[in-house]
Amino acid sequence: MTRRFTWLEGVIIAILLVCAAIMLLPYLWMVLSSFKSNLEIISSATSFVPQNPTLDGYRAVFEEAPFLTWLLNSAITAVIITAATLFTSALAGYVFAKFTFPGKRLMFLLVLATMMIPFQVIMIPTYLIISKLGLINNLAAIIVPSLISSYGVFLAKQFIEDIPRDLLEAARIDGAGELRIMWRIVMPLILPMLSALGIFTFMAAWNNYLWPLIAINDMDRMTVPMALVFFNGAHQVNYNVVMSAAVLITLPVIIVFLIFQKQFIKGLTMTGMK
Amino acid sequence: MEISSLKRERGAGRRLRPHAVHRKQRLFVTASLTPIFILFTVFAFVPIVWSLILSFYQYSPLREESPFIGLENYIRLFSDELFLKSLGVTFKFVAAAVIANIIITLLIAIAVNSVRFRGLRSLFRTIFFLPAIAPLAGTAVVWSTMFNYDNGLFNMILAQFNLAPINWLGDPAYALFSVIMMTLWADIGYNVVLFMAGLDSVPDIYYEAARLEGATRLQTFWHITLPLLSRTTLFVSVTTIVSYFQAFPQFQIMTKGEPFNETRVLALHIYDQAFSNSNMGYASAMAAVLLLIILLVTMIQLRAGRSQWEH
Repeated sequence: MTRRFTWLEGVIIAILLVCAAIMLLPYLWMVLSSFKSNLEIISSATSFVPQNPTLDGYRAVFEEAPFLTWLLNSAITAVIITAATLFTSALAGYVFAKFTFPGKRLMFLLVLATMMIPFQVIMIPTYLIISKLGLINNLAAIIVPSLISSYGVFLAKQFIEDIPRDLLEAARIDGAGELRIMWRIVMPLILPMLSALGIFTFMAAWNNYLWPLIAINDMDRMTVPMALVFFNGAHQVNYNVVMSAAVLITLPVIIVFLIFQKQFIKGLTMTGMK
Repeated sequence: MEISSLKRERGAGRRLRPHAVHRKQRLFVTASLTPIFILFTVFAFVPIVWSLILSFYQYSPLREESPFIGLENYIRLFSDELFLKSLGVTFKFVAAAVIANIIITLLIAIAVNSVRFRGLRSLFRTIFFLPAIAPLAGTAVVWSTMFNYDNGLFNMILAQFNLAPINWLGDPAYALFSVIMMTLWADIGYNVVLFMAGLDSVPDIYYEAARLEGATRLQTFWHITLPLLSRTTLFVSVTTIVSYFQAFPQFQIMTKGEPFNETRVLALHIYDQAFSNSNMGYASAMAAVLLLIILLVTMIQLRAGRSQWEH
């Protein structure tokens, strides 16, 4: 019996190793292609491994486009969106969880209902609103519509409801204001949930493609996902440039992920299963 | 004795100024909810209503007038071959990609969970999850170079086996299949992690009982693992269906809907109509159809969730 199981386990691990290798293959392709030369790519006898490794692709990325500006644009928008979303979600979550006021149920229901709306439905009016506000082609066009998150409000409310009322009441008697209570008591208690929400918000903002594509035309205002597509349009034949840009964009994300992996996986299962 | 008297004093203090406390809290609720609700109104409630209103107009930002045309946009949809085609492509994509996704991720999750070495297990999980964190737009760009006819990775591999090259993204028979392949690579990580968490929450007692009764591995899987995973499976299916109905970057970047509109999914068609052709009224009517589909899927989920509540 035991022997049969170890045999089966060996087969399972072998199959998983093959699957894992397949999963990693596109990364290997990306890195190796980024070191190829134009000449090598155009010649039909291309091989998987670069014959004469060169940094031409990387040089082109920095020479042909404001690549650092794009990275900075992505960083600015994603950081502001994440910080704002965490704050507004915690605040609204606290209010919905611990206070009673007229219209509360209806308001919360309205917020919940927006979670089901596909972005394709709201993108046209949002574009019209943003252009009426004169924000098209401005980084604020990316930031302002994302300062709030219905999902964040929902999650925060669920977690704040579990905080005992006595704890808040005690702070109130000690003379703490509501904002202070939220900042010093509520926020630290829901920190695991906030860090998960923060990671997801940051990633979604960093990776967002459709909305910046609509709201931004100016090359200096583009974010990282649009930058890749820009290079792809300019270098469909010499894709070493595209691959170099892809490596430069993917590497930081992977490093950040490997550092925060535990919180990330925990957050995914926590927020996913709630 | 002292403590209780202190408590009484505190309680008394609280009862002394109920109005002041109440007013301060009301002020806090108003002050904090007002800006948040203005944002929700401007960027969520108003756009939803506006989108539905737009669908009754012949609205284009390029034209001076935008006449009210009632249901004409919706009537036009049913005779618009391109729209019907894109609806068909969307359902084909969602059905194939979701079924493949669920089967693959469930198998991988079970396999990874059966690995007894903890380090190896988390290494596998990391590798399968890695693509999910990269920007989908970037993944689409990298994959289009792998699908390249002349010097892409896939045709290189085919050549190794002396097989004829395939025009992965240009051949109507392969284009949708190619995009599905890329989508699966980029997206299975989430569901693998969710299924692994679902498997972890199945109590060991069930498996021990099954072993005592002499159940085979397949029987255990069929009668214990699958039923106990039903809630996870339902959740995973619905979130995947809803997200695949809205899939956009891979289609816009890899195929632009080509060849012969074989990959023109609804999300891409709406975007093209609204922002390339400036037919925002007509695009809004299409968006309303997408909304209806997603609401139906969600409602079916709520139904199914209620009946499968206990096991």
